[in-house]
Order: sequence, then structure tokens, then C-alpha cells
Amino acid sequence: MYDVIVRGGLVVDGSGGPGYLGDVAIQDGKIAAVGRIEGGAHRFVEAEGRVVAPGFIDPHTHFDVQLLWDGAAKPALEHGITCVVPGNCSLSLAPLRAADRQRVIGMFQQIEEMPPAAFTEAFDWTWEDFAGYRAAIEKSLSVNVAPLVGHSVIRLWVMGADAQERAATADEIAAMQVMLRECLDAGAVGLSTSFVDVDENGRPVPSRFAQFEELDALSEVLGEYGRMLQIVPEFYAIDITIARIDQLAELSLKHNIPTTFSPVFDSTATPDNVARTMARVEEQFARGARVWPQMQTRPIDISFSLLRPSLFFARLPRWVRILRQPLEARIAALRDPETVEKMVADLGPDGGERMMGRLVVRGGDGAPAELTGRTLSDIARDRGEAPALALINLSLEHGLDVAFLNANAGHEVTERIGPMLAHPLVHIGASDGGAHLASFSTYGDTGYLFSEFVRKSGALSLEQAVAKITAETADIWGLKDRGRLETGKAADIVIFDAATIGRGEERPAFDMPGDGMRYVRAATGIDTVLVNGQVAYAAGAYSDARAGVICV
Amino acid sequence: MTLSLQRRFVTPGPGETVEEIAARALPDQDQGAAVDAIRSWNLHIFAMRRPPGLLLGSDVVFVEPPVG
Repeated sequence: MYDVIVRGGLVVDGSGGPGYLGDVAIQDGKIAAVGRIEGGAHRFVEAEGRVVAPGFIDPHTHFDVQLLWDGAAKPALEHGITCVVPGNCSLSLAPLRAADRQRVIGMFQQIEEMPPAAFTEAFDWTWEDFAGYRAAIEKSLSVNVAPLVGHSVIRLWVMGADAQERAATADEIAAMQVMLRECLDAGAVGLSTSFVDVDENGRPVPSRFAQFEELDALSEVLGEYGRMLQIVPEFYAIDITIARIDQLAELSLKHNIPTTFSPVFDSTATPDNVARTMARVEEQFARGARVWPQMQTRPIDISFSLLRPSLFFARLPRWVRILRQPLEARIAALRDPETVEKMVADLGPDGGERMMGRLVVRGGDGAPAELTGRTLSDIARDRGEAPALALINLSLEHGLDVAFLNANAGHEVTERIGPMLAHPLVHIGASDGGAHLASFSTYGDTGYLFSEFVRKSGALSLEQAVAKITAETADIWGLKDRGRLETGKAADIVIFDAATIGRGEERPAFDMPGDGMRYVRAATGIDTVLVNGQVAYAAGAYSDARAGVICV
Repeated sequence: MTLSLQRRFVTPGPGETVEEIAARALPDQDQGAAVDAIRSWNLHIFAMRRPPGLLLGSDVVFVEPPVG
């Protein structure tokens, strides 16, 4: 008698091979058999007319804090995600001394656009070391977690404030190696570092003060465990990205470790960049290095209002400073003619037409309904104002509660992206799940993979697409029990309708601690999600199952 | 497997200045010209960064112009 039999579906097992009609039997959280299965079960899940696939793995997320109050990483799980990798980009919530918490919260706020209340209002911060963080999230996981440990926080742990001032001494590097070992022993899947990020004061994050020798020493420790090194390169500059690929290749070859870098974006403004990136990646793989470029499926859409800071203004320091002020002070600044004159001047002689003219009023908030869908350029013309001034004044007229959408700001040409995603060395990921809350939805990238690149463009077959986000991801990250429907593997399973799987419309949700708003997308076409053999999501509802584990 | 030619770069040593990098990476060039060249080849450090010119241990510092 099995615990569960998933019956009569099209089994797409993650290998990339053709799907076939069959059943999947589950016992004690593991896959017990695949094929035509006779015999009984305590529970049958009917999958006729549906695809039965391994659970999807999301390798680039920032669910570090959300997992403390939401063990399902909602809505990731309902999109079929059964394993998430938090701790990317040099930032994790452990190891971290109490005295350094505020500093790291500031980094999450700046880099990942997460509200401070998310770190202070929804849980008791009881841990400092990695084992303590693991214990804190492990109690109520519905999704599996393969957490990275951040280089910046390891540096902070060892060097204190000096981590953002100088190179480490030999003794400090040795202490970082000890700490990294401790984290890996406690379940970290690898180390993340960043070459681009700054904190809320504009200061480079600690990892950027490290000499290459420090990263080499930490990679030596990763080599003892065969675990991952993730980096954020200077993705805006192709020559630097290639230099980072070469550095990663050196570390991969020397220490026999997998490495990955993200994001890799396509832009029609620099149409050769992805091709140059992949040419170098191919050369390095031919040498035996493992340097996996991560590419997201979705186009770049950024929404914002003047209620919150936004990465949309990242290149406008004055705007960032003003929008980071408390609400009353912010409104006062936006009402001050002298300040506004300077803000508009920051946009250059066209008054913001080039940067802001194509923005569209999203609607559904404080904006008058008749403005919904209109461009700022159009609205500004009607008002007789420069676009930047119209943005400020329109926002002020409605309590700043006017959301603008900068749609298709890159990575949006399906005919270009499809073949890139299908490239055998491209690692599909970079969702940023759990971050950039008020800028865009980081949920639904897997659904978009199937709707846009399997059904619409045909760039990938159903089986290829499943393999990319299951078995291939598990292999890249060394998650030995995940990613395939094979006897003995963990029973992480998603059952979906190949004809309708996709992502819903982006909509605001107000379900974050404090005043936290975030954009989300619902899933379409997902019937049932099992995590370690237990039904975690079915028929549009989450269950009470808490079968998720730390799955290194 | 021979790698294709890419731009040469160095990374700064602890506390190293752009003048010291220039002397190390471009020893045959006039010091002032070498510093100017390095500044012009590394706008991500010497123009885009705040404060401009803050050298970090992890930086990629190109020591030649873009490969044509």
C-alpha cells in the first residue's frame, strides 16, 4: 500500500526525454515507482489529461526573510516551485550578530527593495549563526530550501565595520574560511557574492572590498564540499562580465566547484552582449570549467509610485534621497519649487521625456480612472508640463498613490529570448523571488516559460522546458535528491495543464508586514503541487502540510 | 583549449592607488599618460562610481583599451 499514487498523467520526468502516460507512486516522501502501477494507496491524485513533472526549482531568490513567517514562499509554491534558493547576491540573514542586523536590513532595503518592517514586525529574531537561522525557518516549511550564505555577512561577522573599509588580513581570511565551513555544515548550499551592490548610503557592500585572494580562499572551502559560488557581475558592461566569467572559471577549475552568475539580460540596445557572454561561457566550459549564466524568462517591467523608493530612480541620486524620506518630509520636498526644479533638471533638457515619457499610469489606485493606460508623455502634454514635473504634480494631487509602469524595458523580444533560453549552457533562473516587492512581480516566471516559449514560440519543447527548471537545475546545484521523477528521489511533483499553464496579471497585494505592498501574479494551469510526498497546494488552495526541508 | 583574446585586466592590491597600478601594469609608459589611460579605460570606477576613483579590492581594472 503506497501513501499516494498520482494516476494517469503524462509523465515528463525531468530527463528531457519524451513524456509518457503513467503513474507515480509515493512512499515515505520518496518516489517509490514510476510507470503502470498496480496496487493500492491511501490517497489517489488523478492526473488524467495533465502533465506530471518534478517540482520546479528556483535558483535565485531572496526569500530569506519571508520564509520566517511564510514557509510556502507564497505565491511561489502555487506556481509549481518546490525548492527555492535564498541568500543570493552576498546577502543572507546569517551569520549575523545582533549589532549588525540594522546594517544588513539597510542593504536588503536598498538592493532588494524590501521594507524594513518585513525584518522587524513579523518574527522574533533569535539567532546569530547559520544553524540558528536554519532552525528558525525549518519549523514550518511547505517548500524546500537550499540556502546560500552571503559573503558580505561573513565578512561583517569576522571584520565588523571594517568589512566595508578595507582588505582582510590573512588571519581574517582564515576566520572567514572557518565560518564558511560552519555554514556549509549547517546546510548552506554555497556562497554568494556581489561585485555591484551598494548599501542604503551608497557605500559598496562588504564583499566588494575583498581581494580576489579572499574569494579564492573561500572557494577553496567550497571545493571541500563541492558547493556553489554565485556572483552578481557588472551586468551593465560586457567586458567586465567577461572578466568575471574568467575569474569564475579560474576558481571553478582550481577548486572543482560549480559557479553561476546572474543576471544575464538581452537588450536590443546592446544586441551582441548575450552572444559574447555565451561565446566566453562556451570557451570556459570547453576547458572544463563550470560557469553557469542565469537568465530570467520574463521581460523587464518596473512599476513604481512616489510612495516608496524604487530602483527606477537608481541613476537619480537626488530623487532617491528625497523618496527615501518619511512621508511628510517627502511630500514637503516635492512641494518645494526649488527642490522640484532641481529634480526636473536632473532629467536633462528634455524634462524627462526620454526616461519617463513612455511610462503608463497603471490604474486601480489613487489615479483618476480616465488616466489609466495613458502615457506620461501624453498626460504631460495635456498639462503643459515636462514629464518629470507632471509625474511629481500628478502624484501630489493624489496623495502620491499613483503607480506608473515602465513596461518591456528590456529582455522582451520573444524571438530573441527563446533560443537563448534553449541554449544547453543557459541556466534558467534569476527570478529574484521575494525581492523588489513594489517594482515587479517575481512570481510566475516558470509559467511564462511554458506559455511564451513552449506554446507560443515553440523555442523549447515541453520536455526541454521541464528539464531546464528541474533536473538540469538540480544537477547544476548538486541537489542529488531533486529534479527527477525517478525511484528513490524526493517526491516533489507538480501536476499541470500544458495548455493553460502560465502567469496571471500582475496585481498589487497588501500582505507584507507593516505597510508592505508587493506585486504578485497568480498561477494558471497548476492543479496540484506535492512537496516531499505531501500535497502542499491543490485546486487553488494551500494545505496545512509542512513537509519542506533544507535540501542540500 | 585556447581562450580567445579578451581585454587584459588587473585587480588592485590592498591600498593600491591608480598610480601604483599604472606603474605595475604599464611600466614602459610615461607615468602620467599611463594613469590617464587607465582612468579612461575604467569609467565604471573613475566616472560612474561615488566617490569617483574609490578603488575596491574586487575591482576589474582594465589595462588596455577595448579589443577591436
